[in-house]
Amino acid sequence: MKVLVAAKRVVDYNVNVRVLSDESGVDLNNVKMSVNPFDEIAIEEAVRLKEAGQAEEVIVVSVGTSACQEQIRTALALGADRGILVETDEEVQPLGIAKVLKAIMDKEQPEIVIAGKQAIDGDNSQTGQMLAALGGYGQATFASEVELGDGTATVTREIDGGLETITVKLPAVITTDLRLNEPRYASLPNIMKAKKKPIDTYTPADLGVDVTPSIKTLKVSPPAERQAGIVVETVEELVDKLKNEAKVI
Amino acid sequence: MELSLSNEQQMIVDMVRRFVREEIVPLEMHLDPDADQLESDDRERLVGKVKEMGLYGLDIPVEYGGPDIDVVTRTLMAIEMSQHRAGLYAPCYGVFGGAGLAQLFEASDAQKEKYLYPTLRGEKRGFFGLTEPSGGSDPARAIQTRAIQDGDDWVINGGKIFISGADKADFGLVFARTGGEGRGGVTCFIVDTDTPGFHVRRIVHTLRSAHYATELQFEDMHVPAINILGQLNKGFAIANDRLSRQRIPYSAGCIGVAVKAHEMALEYSKQRETFGAPLSNRQAIQWMLVDNEIDIKQATWLTLEAADRARRGDSFRKEAAMCKIVATESAGRVVDRAMQIHGGYGVTKDFPLERWYRELRIRRIGEGPNEVQRHIIARDIIGAGLR
Ligand SMILES: Cc1cc2nc3c(=O)[nH]c(=O)nc-3n(C[C@H](O)[C@H](O)[C@H](O)COP(=O)(O)OP(=O)(O)OC[C@H]3O[C@@H](n4cnc5c(N)ncnc54)[C@H](O)[C@@H]3O)c2cc1C
Repeated sequence: MKVLVAAKRVVDYNVNVRVLSDESGVDLNNVKMSVNPFDEIAIEEAVRLKEAGQAEEVIVVSVGTSACQEQIRTALALGADRGILVETDEEVQPLGIAKVLKAIMDKEQPEIVIAGKQAIDGDNSQTGQMLAALGGYGQATFASEVELGDGTATVTREIDGGLETITVKLPAVITTDLRLNEPRYASLPNIMKAKKKPIDTYTPADLGVDVTPSIKTLKVSPPAERQAGIVVETVEELVDKLKNEAKVI
Repeated sequence: MELSLSNEQQMIVDMVRRFVREEIVPLEMHLDPDADQLESDDRERLVGKVKEMGLYGLDIPVEYGGPDIDVVTRTLMAIEMSQHRAGLYAPCYGVFGGAGLAQLFEASDAQKEKYLYPTLRGEKRGFFGLTEPSGGSDPARAIQTRAIQDGDDWVINGGKIFISGADKADFGLVFARTGGEGRGGVTCFIVDTDTPGFHVRRIVHTLRSAHYATELQFEDMHVPAINILGQLNKGFAIANDRLSRQRIPYSAGCIGVAVKAHEMALEYSKQRETFGAPLSNRQAIQWMLVDNEIDIKQATWLTLEAADRARRGDSFRKEAAMCKIVATESAGRVVDRAMQIHGGYGVTKDFPLERWYRELRIRRIGEGPNEVQRHIIARDIIGAGLR
């Protein structure tokens, strides 16, 4: 079975981003970029399926500028077999990415697509769901456990207030939650091997896909600065402040 | 001229950075501020991870099963590995494997089996015994410890000072006078610390509180002739190249600490408000941060250049001396400024700054004091005749 993994290039989670002065976005100049952490979990899950003998091939796809090759190489160093870069300088949005992934699915015919539940840049949490809808595939989002059956996947989902277990028919789209696994470190031999693994490059046009943004960003602004905390003397004072100042109870 | 990292180097750097942040720093919060060892179960667990990463025994040559890493990549790793509280003298608490004494790479095969490889595997510890009370900058002239031949043995009498970790070592290198004055009369012996006549006279307390230097005394200490490292009276000739090479990771460790201190200062200066504005809004503070940035950059490039020359097989003695000077001095300045920006908190043991501040001071003296490094450079640019 083939597993397709989606990996997005995003600002590293350790970076404090700065909003550009024209409020058009955040400053990406000289900023460290990494694989979206949820996608790292997706890569790990796919590689484990391969190590367990349940998958034969793990293909990693990234959509974006040519720099996304770095993230594909990282995924290859973690154990993916080959990469696909769909290169575009357009701002890529969930629907565009979902359409590209759909086209790649048509080409590669994987049984499972694993993607992060969201990317830490836009926090959209839409791509996996859109892909499933476009292709009419099963979908199991926010997975914290995945078990493959015969033509099915049984997935434990993290939902508000608990866990839900569902079984979906393959091909299906699975999106990863934080607790699904703990991604490994790459290893030196695998980093060296990754150099030789193939990466195919397409443009969206090659795939017959239009990724023109459908959403226009009007303004990006930083979150409001948090007020400094205060220390209260008594419980009564706390209750009073919560009631009359914060007005939350 | 290629000044950017290769894709592979970047991945290795990222991997080590993540390891330090996610595995080492959280454990450190539960350790004594001056600790230089992990709890043994944590240590074993992390050594296991490092082995899976294929990075254990970093300094073991490839032909003996070490990872295949060039000097430049090794230097980039060293810059990452010291970015935690104990990082200057105990990078990653040694979970990437032991550091071998440079001279042992020039040892005979039997000596390597017995001493070098066990050290690299982290099974044995060695000390480096050169400095004597009579002086460390110019040991060739200063060494007074004597070895006299007695059949198959050499009998050593004398003493050493400031010898790091000799109280916990299994063996060490002892430089002793076997011939006339100057560098042509000194031999290097490998000495087991359980040899009768080997005494650790006292611990010399220094501002590096986690780690003790020792004073050693040798009384009629019999060492077999097969334990001579290299040739008789050529104790200084061995491993000159490796000694200069050692200055590269020595510099890299300082840079890592500076990088971390600077990162802390940047973050703190944006949060801390005085007189109604963050510290980072004040030009006095901005200039400190700018100077940190410049100090780190110059130390990094000089160190990487020395490493790159070593990688290409070019001579790098002068470059190694330069990076040793610049990295040790600039890291000291960076930590000093970071401390100033942190105010009173900077000198508390709640932050690693005070430890780095103390330990970095040693770095201008150890591994060849900076005056001696300048002397090496002067000899290079003015002429070898210079004394
Ligand atoms: C914590 C610690 C650990 C150490 N660990 C070890 C160890 O494991 N093994 C070991 O062998 N040694 C070790 N040393 C010793 C260290 O290498 C020496 O202290 C160093 O070589 C300087 O020697 P010295 O202290 O005798 O100073 P001296 O040689 O007396 O020099 C005094 C000062 O004069 C300067 N100076 C010397 N010559 C000149 C000149 N020509 N022109 C201008 N200035 C000059 C020196 O730079 C120095 O600042 C350690 C030292 C310390 C503090």
